[in-house]
Amino acid sequence: MQHELLVGLSSSEVEQVMALGTKTTVPSGGLLFKLGDPADRIFLVERGRIRLTLPMLLRGRDEEVLIEEKSPGQTVGWSALIPPYRFTLSASAPLETAVTGISREALLQYFDRSPRTAYRISSNLAQVVGLRLQLLQAMWLREMQRTIEQRASASAS
Amino acid sequence: MEMLLMVLCLSMFGVAVAALAFGAATRPAATPQKPQPAVQAKPAVSARFFSDRVLPIVPPLPQVPIEVLLHQIENHVRLEQAAAESFVEFPTEALLYRKTTSPLVN
Repeated sequence: MQHELLVGLSSSEVEQVMALGTKTTVPSGGLLFKLGDPADRIFLVERGRIRLTLPMLLRGRDEEVLIEEKSPGQTVGWSALIPPYRFTLSASAPLETAVTGISREALLQYFDRSPRTAYRISSNLAQVVGLRLQLLQAMWLREMQRTIEQRASASAS
Repeated sequence: MEMLLMVLCLSMFGVAVAALAFGAATRPAATPQKPQPAVQAKPAVSARFFSDRVLPIVPPLPQVPIEVLLHQIENHVRLEQAAAESFVEFPTEALLYRKTTSPLVN
């Protein structure tokens, strides 16, 4: 399996980066991180699935509502590499899930030693962030379109 | 001449008596106008009428259990994400606004 964050790296570079991390198994229903927590590690999903959620008030109760799901090969928690280094979503595992967590400190030290790898990983990270932006932009536009259509039909009746 | 004056006086007396009788007859009709409060009571009656019309409470819509609602939201998010991914892969206006089967918006 190839991680989206490590695309374009040689196998030895992949090994070096993976050696920086620690494998963690999140039990079914377990929490990987919570909204607002300090983000000091980025996670690569190895197995299982990660649910990214945000709290929403439903009938007076705070409920975690699904925003996005991440599968093996995908990256979670890139807030660890972007100031202010706080998670902006909560992440949990709907089933037993394995992730590799790489600390920001270890990754940045490695970047200093290997600028070429740093460039590749930063480029891949930009794609991950850019894709999230494009998806959310499209979803927001769809929601806006529906709101406008609803308002137009309400004022016409 | 005297007869004529007498007839005229009697006629005037008759007219006066008739006027008094008419006044007496119409007074009861004028008296009810006095109860203006009855007229003023009308707005109160109509106000109560309107409030009675407003009072009936619309029965609340049947609420689905919160677990079902959460499931619907998750399903909606997945469908929306899939639609957004299709658009990002091949950006066209038709794909951007493609309808989904999400019960939350249909």
